Amino acid sequence: MNQEICIMVVDDETAMRESLAGWLTKEGYRTFTAGSGPEALSLQKDCPSVLWLVDIKMPGMDGLELLRQVKKDWPQVLVVMITAYGSIESAVEAMKQGASDYLLKPFDPEHMLFIIDKILKQQALVEENLLLKERLAEREGALFEDLVSSSPAMNPVFKLVEDVAPTDTPVLITGETGTGKELVARAIHAHSPRAFGPFVAINCGALTESLLESELFGHERGAFTGAIKARRGRLEMAGGGTLFLDEVGEIPLKMQIDLLRVLEERTFQRVGGGLSLTSDFRLICATHQELPQLIAAGRFRPDFYYRINVIAISIPALRDRLEDIPALATHFLIRYSREMNKPIKHFTPEALRLLSAYSWPGNVRELKNVVERAVVICRSTVLGAPELVFLQPGKEGESRGLTLQEVELEYLRRIITASDGNISLAAKTLGIDRSTLIRKIKRYGLNKPSASA
Amino acid sequence: MDPTTLKPADRAIYVEVIPLGRADEVAGAILSANLQEFFGLPAEVSPPWPVPDYAHLPARNQYDAGLILQQLSRDLPADGLRLGLTALDLTLPILTYVFGEALVGGRVAIVSVFRLGREPGHPRKDLGLLYERLLKVGLHETAHALGVPHCRRSGCLMRFSYGLEHLDALEPQFCSSCLQAIAAPHK
Repeated sequence: MNQEICIMVVDDETAMRESLAGWLTKEGYRTFTAGSGPEALSLQKDCPSVLWLVDIKMPGMDGLELLRQVKKDWPQVLVVMITAYGSIESAVEAMKQGASDYLLKPFDPEHMLFIIDKILKQQALVEENLLLKERLAEREGALFEDLVSSSPAMNPVFKLVEDVAPTDTPVLITGETGTGKELVARAIHAHSPRAFGPFVAINCGALTESLLESELFGHERGAFTGAIKARRGRLEMAGGGTLFLDEVGEIPLKMQIDLLRVLEERTFQRVGGGLSLTSDFRLICATHQELPQLIAAGRFRPDFYYRINVIAISIPALRDRLEDIPALATHFLIRYSREMNKPIKHFTPEALRLLSAYSWPGNVRELKNVVERAVVICRSTVLGAPELVFLQPGKEGESRGLTLQEVELEYLRRIITASDGNISLAAKTLGIDRSTLIRKIKRYGLNKPSASA
Repeated sequence: MDPTTLKPADRAIYVEVIPLGRADEVAGAILSANLQEFFGLPAEVSPPWPVPDYAHLPARNQYDAGLILQQLSRDLPADGLRLGLTALDLTLPILTYVFGEALVGGRVAIVSVFRLGREPGHPRKDLGLLYERLLKVGLHETAHALGVPHCRRSGCLMRFSYGLEHLDALEPQFCSSCLQAIAAPHK
């Protein structure tokens, strides 16, 4: 049934108008009929139709004039022109002026319904696409909230993001772990002309040399043991979009040469393949390391460095923008309270003082994890110092003089206790895999019941 | 109960199958029998009405089904439903041809056998096939006359038929939603 879809039929000949409307009614559409352009325009104000079927030849305002008027007042309305065999030129003119299609009358019943069905489906796809783009933009927007800052230290970052986004220039983002390098890369991508292309990220430090090569360049079937089928690499996947190489300092020297060649010549080959492939991507790299030092140590090629470091963006550590801590913490508090369906309104002044006094070696990521953990254990409408006990100087001081293992054991015990023995939650708070946490629990002889007791 | 048919007690509408022009007695009998069988409606073949010259379109040598429906609507009894039956080539001004036509919910419909006996590559008419198609078009148009629009479900007779090939692929049966709509009381 198409009852919710309204179609307007505009024809000065009653028989044509009524027979067409009758047919469409049988097909389940809701129809409105008008004998002239002005009548149709007036009717549209009260009974808006998504599709208009308009006869070209009408006295007074003809179909083409009506088409122009409709498109001016209701640009989203789809218009199909109806014409006799003698006036194909008018139909072509109508298509140029924005008509979706035209029908030569009299037309085959199946042809008419096919055209209408096709146009409405196309329109539904266009609308769906717009909706998805809006949702994507909203999602990206939510991500960038994590970058919100009022600190002067972040101004150069935002300025550079704005400046480089519209270009294809390679960007090197530096900053300590957890400062939000990938978020900045995503912001550049989202504000670039490639925004609706893919954003392909790869952590170069997380893979062995051979795996990294295969991931980046892809491989052909049989290229190595286990390559049972051909696979596209990240370089190919990033075509039309942005390639983000995180931990670029970890890329082996030989692969730096290969990547340099890709950047210079824009061509590459899959592992085990002979065919030259091309991919149009924008490159953004990130590292927490000092690349000039790596160059001095012979671990990083200077030519590759100069190629990727055309524009450098340095993200300050959180301790260098302390004024951002309350706003960021509140932002995370709102997000996690909503996600966990908890009625936590705000921090107590003491809690905010604790957050601002902490050194944040793990930067924004650590702040985010700390707030998430505190929200989990908070049972009030206000998040206070008790939920942030592990940040208190006294508690931190207890670990002075202890070995690293002892500190880790103590910290694990606190987190597991704070998570009520929930291993998954504790692992999430610690930012490690569940299996890694279980291994540590076994190693230290911790177990769930005693931890939660 | 056969899920594709309705009980006779479901309604009190009386169907007249009205030949327009030269009568095909077999076709009329098939329609009336199946309307009773499928819809549970009392149905009878009436004496033929004259050829509808008023609906003739000389330029196309076809007959305007819309005008014929208007004629069938005149003096329609309160409990009546009229199904015209003709061998003339039917059309609507906006279309090249129609197998049948109905006023949705208007309790008038018409079917034509003119195009139903055509079989590409088979010069001789296949009467069995023609009557099977007539039955399907007759049931389809009568359901329209009872207020049922086209249906998107595959296999339902209320699905729009894109030509004879599609018509042949359909079985003479309705989906449960359309059956429900057909069974709804009509005043």
